[in-house]
Amino acid sequence: MIMTQLTRPLRALAGILSAVLVLAACSGGPQDAPLEVEIMQVVGQQVKQRLKRQPERPPVTRALLDSLDETYIEVTIEDDGQRAYLQPQLVKQDSTPGQVTVWLTEDAVTLAMRNGVLTATRGLRNDMLSASALVHETGGAMGPAGGATGARRYEFAALDNRSQVFTLACTVSDLGPETIEIIELTYQTRHLQERCESGPGGESGVVVNDYWIDSRSGQLWQSRQWAGPTTGYLRIRQLTL
Amino acid sequence: MTSSRRYTFRRVFPSFAGPGPSGLSAAIIAGICAGASGALAQDAAPAPGFATAAQVDNFDAPSLEPPAAPGLNFYGTPGLMDTPSAEMLPDGHFATTFSWFGGQSRYNLTFQALPWLSASFRYNGIRNLNLFGFNTYYDRGFDVRFRLLRERRYLPELTMGLQDFAGTGVYAAEYLVATKRIETPPLRFGGAAGRSPGQLKVSAGLGWGRLGSYGAVGNIGGKRPSFVGGGTGGNLSYDQWFRGDFAPFAGIEWQANERWSVKAEYSSDAYVTETRISNVFERKSQVNYGLEYQWSKTTRIGAYYMYGSELGITAQFQLKPRHPIIATQVPAPAPIVPRSQWATKEEHWSQDWTESEYKRTRFRDLVAEGLKPHGLILEAIDLKGTEAEVRFRNPRYRSYAIAVGRVARTMALTLPPSIETFRIIPVRSGMGLSTTVIRRSDLEELEFSPEASDGLMAVAAVTGAGPLPETAIFSEELYPAFTRSISPYAAPAYFDPARPFRLDVGVDFAAGYSPAPGWRIAGTIRQRAWGNVQDGRASNSVLPHVRTDQSFYAQYGTTLENLYVDRSWQPRRNVYARLRAGLFESMYGGLSGEVLWKPVSSPLALGVEANYVIQRDYDQRLSFRDYKTFTGHASAYLELGESYQAQIDVGRYLAGDYGGTFSLFREFENGFKVGGFFTLTNVSAAEFGEGSFDKGFYFRIPLGWLLGKETRNAYGLTIRPIQRDGGQRVGGVGGLYGDVRTAHRRSLRAQRARFWE
Repeated sequence: MIMTQLTRPLRALAGILSAVLVLAACSGGPQDAPLEVEIMQVVGQQVKQRLKRQPERPPVTRALLDSLDETYIEVTIEDDGQRAYLQPQLVKQDSTPGQVTVWLTEDAVTLAMRNGVLTATRGLRNDMLSASALVHETGGAMGPAGGATGARRYEFAALDNRSQVFTLACTVSDLGPETIEIIELTYQTRHLQERCESGPGGESGVVVNDYWIDSRSGQLWQSRQWAGPTTGYLRIRQLTL
Repeated sequence: MTSSRRYTFRRVFPSFAGPGPSGLSAAIIAGICAGASGALAQDAAPAPGFATAAQVDNFDAPSLEPPAAPGLNFYGTPGLMDTPSAEMLPDGHFATTFSWFGGQSRYNLTFQALPWLSASFRYNGIRNLNLFGFNTYYDRGFDVRFRLLRERRYLPELTMGLQDFAGTGVYAAEYLVATKRIETPPLRFGGAAGRSPGQLKVSAGLGWGRLGSYGAVGNIGGKRPSFVGGGTGGNLSYDQWFRGDFAPFAGIEWQANERWSVKAEYSSDAYVTETRISNVFERKSQVNYGLEYQWSKTTRIGAYYMYGSELGITAQFQLKPRHPIIATQVPAPAPIVPRSQWATKEEHWSQDWTESEYKRTRFRDLVAEGLKPHGLILEAIDLKGTEAEVRFRNPRYRSYAIAVGRVARTMALTLPPSIETFRIIPVRSGMGLSTTVIRRSDLEELEFSPEASDGLMAVAAVTGAGPLPETAIFSEELYPAFTRSISPYAAPAYFDPARPFRLDVGVDFAAGYSPAPGWRIAGTIRQRAWGNVQDGRASNSVLPHVRTDQSFYAQYGTTLENLYVDRSWQPRRNVYARLRAGLFESMYGGLSGEVLWKPVSSPLALGVEANYVIQRDYDQRLSFRDYKTFTGHASAYLELGESYQAQIDVGRYLAGDYGGTFSLFREFENGFKVGGFFTLTNVSAAEFGEGSFDKGFYFRIPLGWLLGKETRNAYGLTIRPIQRDGGQRVGGVGGLYGDVRTAHRRSLRAQRARFWE
């Protein structure tokens, strides 16, 4: 009897001690962390994220934008309204027509655009690994080439550390002049629409990308482009040059 | 000289690649993905000017979603309630089901092993059966189903099934069933968008055994032996398959939309044992009805009215190994800046730096620092004028392809322009696993090409890892290295008839010390906090008790789980070796050696493992019991394609028995693994005891698949219907094959899409 009376509180103490240790699961050194430690870490991060308040955003005005020297685009994920402001990280040319600009958010998401046509994302879920673009074969005009037809090949990170390729047949049509406004400034643009459909045998679906290109300078001011099945459509606006 | 150092620093922090947007107030910048979307809901109002006439939304776009999975029956296979349909799950799906009615609960696991073949394991309890010496009767069983014909325009799908085909066979039945699916218009109700069409599924079949026990229309081969519980089981009961009375059954299911479905069936199961011999429930009708709701992508629940008297429920969880619960998300890497943009002068390309040890050490440190944000660790680097070899450790990524890609990017951003050839070698336990050879100009050219992954794989070479060059410089941070961890553990024990599931939980304190590459001294102290494994039944085995004294071992709460010295090395190209001495696991210690031959591009690997082991004392400290034995195996591993692997081990087992183990696994590229094994040795079925021979199945769920985070960890579980002493192997040793395989050419090629991520 005395034994059980002694061991019961001891057992409870061991339980409490272990519970504390479980909460404090940790690892160190150049090796793989144990499974349980990683689960704890992820749960901890999720709780922290939940508790963190979203910062209030002051409205973006043209006066604010005019005070900046840097180039910015604004990108909004259409499905959930999340928004980010991106700066160019790299401009480069390779042997494929067009010029690639890599845009970077503050939280390590990048978008790569070839003459303004989205061809890769990084740091999102099911990233667009690579894509072809129907850009002008020569010259630096932005957006897709008006009247162009051809295949666009999209490759997305998916499926078991592999990728899923969608090859879509696309046609670019000119929907004529449109006036758009971006934060208190209006632009005269031509509206190009790229309609892509999957061929027989492929995954069925339709993708429509829209581009608004300055009638005079050829600058791509605004676009709505598909970033993949998981992210959906992005609304992209050029805020400053 | 000085100029080379300057541009190197600029490469690490290129001014245009700075820390990110800084001019715009950080307060108004929120990352595309940061945080909960709800807080940003005020932004969801469509920005003006994006709406167009022909606009479509993401729903119309091509999708990555897997095909919809059919609803499951009470036995965990596609079907109605107690009767099956001919449908198959999508290839590779893994479904767990719980069903209950009238005091009968069934836990089912079903794996769609091939598009036309599925296998199931079931654990069931029948309350108040009061037969065979048990109040609640627990049993286990295996099912297998083969699709004989695919559905055609006018022809139905046809499937043959063997239910509970081995073991004691409480649910033994065989059937042939046909199902025809007819599309119905989409309906919008009950939380469904009504965008995808509905389906009417009509099934009819003929059943033997349990499914031939009501309304029989014929007989093949006379009387079928009736079910007797409590036998040893474990043998295939092929002598009774498709024997005895057979009866028709039928069912209809209307999947109204992607959420709701209603079911009705005519069952040919008379529940003879449960309702006539015993009194588990009252059977008034042979018609059952059900309503099912697809709660989420992975969860489906159902409510039923069974046999005119009982309510029933099911909960179905559909796990899709190829479709993670949360897709992984990794921070974007910095893009590769072509050297033509920054090494603009002749002297930038000189190889003078090779002569300065100071500079080579600086480059080593730059690479090491560059790898850290990616969670990778530099082991050693060898720098020549135009060539660099980096050996690195990968504690973060399950896929070596992304790890190799991140190393290549880091090298392109940090090494002097004269270096054109990159040799990238992942290292585990001091052993180089493979070499990926990439030209730096290919990296610069292909990063944004339309077919970047295929393009790079076409120009990269994957070869075996050679010996460490003598000129290589090691990282100064790695040796000697201490590691330590404190983590909770859970040790389950299954299928004791008195209590089917027992568990011990507690905390592991682990520490390790690596004095030099390939050497490791490690140990774990285990403190149990709570558990009931110690109440398990005592062994009745006539063999040496090599595994069945689990409950004796569980009497002790504070134990030394393991303590060993380990040495891994590569005696020659394509050969890996490991020696280990000490306490391997809770029950055995001794001396163990393993040698594995696995060329980097070969689907075949051969290995030998030899162990001299002594059984540890029950208290699991430093003392031993009297039982000593030699155990060892020769193994062949073969990659079969379609992510299948076979393994054959032949040798001597712990109880001194000789024989072989055959294992068949399906391991998906993300590490999700499902498979089974059986072992036949010279121990007779009578000596072995319940189950007749050792067998079981195994699954492993990678943590990254569950959490959407890069991690090498996984939750693995081996389940044996019964744990006996025949055909048992020592744990905590071996495992070279698993360590090296995923860094070899087949995996790197199959996962090439991750290289550029």
